[in-house]
Amino acid sequence: MKLLTCPMNGPRNIDEFQSFGPVRARPDPNGTADREWSRHLFRAENRKGIVVEWWRHVPSNYFFLAERDLVSNEIIRTFDASQLRERA
Amino acid sequence: MTAGAATHIYPFVPGGAADGTKLISGAVVLSDLTGKPCFGLKGGGSAAWLAAQGVPLPAVNRIGDHRGMRVLRLGNEDILFLAENAGETLAQIKAAWLTAVAPKGYSSWREEGWAWMRLSGPRLVEAMSGLCALDLRPQKFGVDDIAQTRVGHIEAVAFRSPTGFDILFDITASAYFARAVAAVAGHQHRGHP
Repeated sequence: MKLLTCPMNGPRNIDEFQSFGPVRARPDPNGTADREWSRHLFRAENRKGIVVEWWRHVPSNYFFLAERDLVSNEIIRTFDASQLRERA
Repeated sequence: MTAGAATHIYPFVPGGAADGTKLISGAVVLSDLTGKPCFGLKGGGSAAWLAAQGVPLPAVNRIGDHRGMRVLRLGNEDILFLAENAGETLAQIKAAWLTAVAPKGYSSWREEGWAWMRLSGPRLVEAMSGLCALDLRPQKFGVDDIAQTRVGHIEAVAFRSPTGFDILFDITASAYFARAVAAVAGHQHRGHP
């Protein structure tokens, strides 16, 4: 069983979670051309390295963040979204 | 019944969606508490409004007590009251909330949207180990702890009751849950681990 540690609920079967993709800067709706919007909506990055992703613990409907190694698929850490806001 | 109030037809009562589904009894006992008084608040302002009413709120995923009600903190702004034996107190809280001005959170519709079932019986521990992947041994999961997890393959909230475990889940899965519990208990009765 693969485990993911939810910051609120603790270690759980990965089956209890849903991935919502990488954290990305949202384009400025007043200054973004169609081409950039299209890229933002329909293209995904495919790079090596560490990514910060949104995840949801489904039974509690709790959204949080996880740092994941895209090569090894190792979850490096998980944390509450408030920590991202503090860092910004 | 209050004039004008709708009559609730819960799944296992005559005419309900799960009418006719057997609730297992014997080594594992499944009881339906869905019709017992409960009420939930969710969203911004819920915790502050309840605190202003003098309701002591436990930490997230912990259970507190307020005048005979069990107070389940499912999230910072997600609080559930279960009033198995304190319906009057719950009615007071609910009446105060209905007439209060915002911010006060919103009703999370727990009284109609969630099933509330109780598992007990001499083979309870074995049944729970077949229904839920979490370590629910007493030394790991205390009387005031809440597990928001999967039980019988559906999203559920599980916690201890004086006679076993109480499980809350989407009311539309009531018949499925009753059958899942019966299947696990039957499987173990036939000598499987």
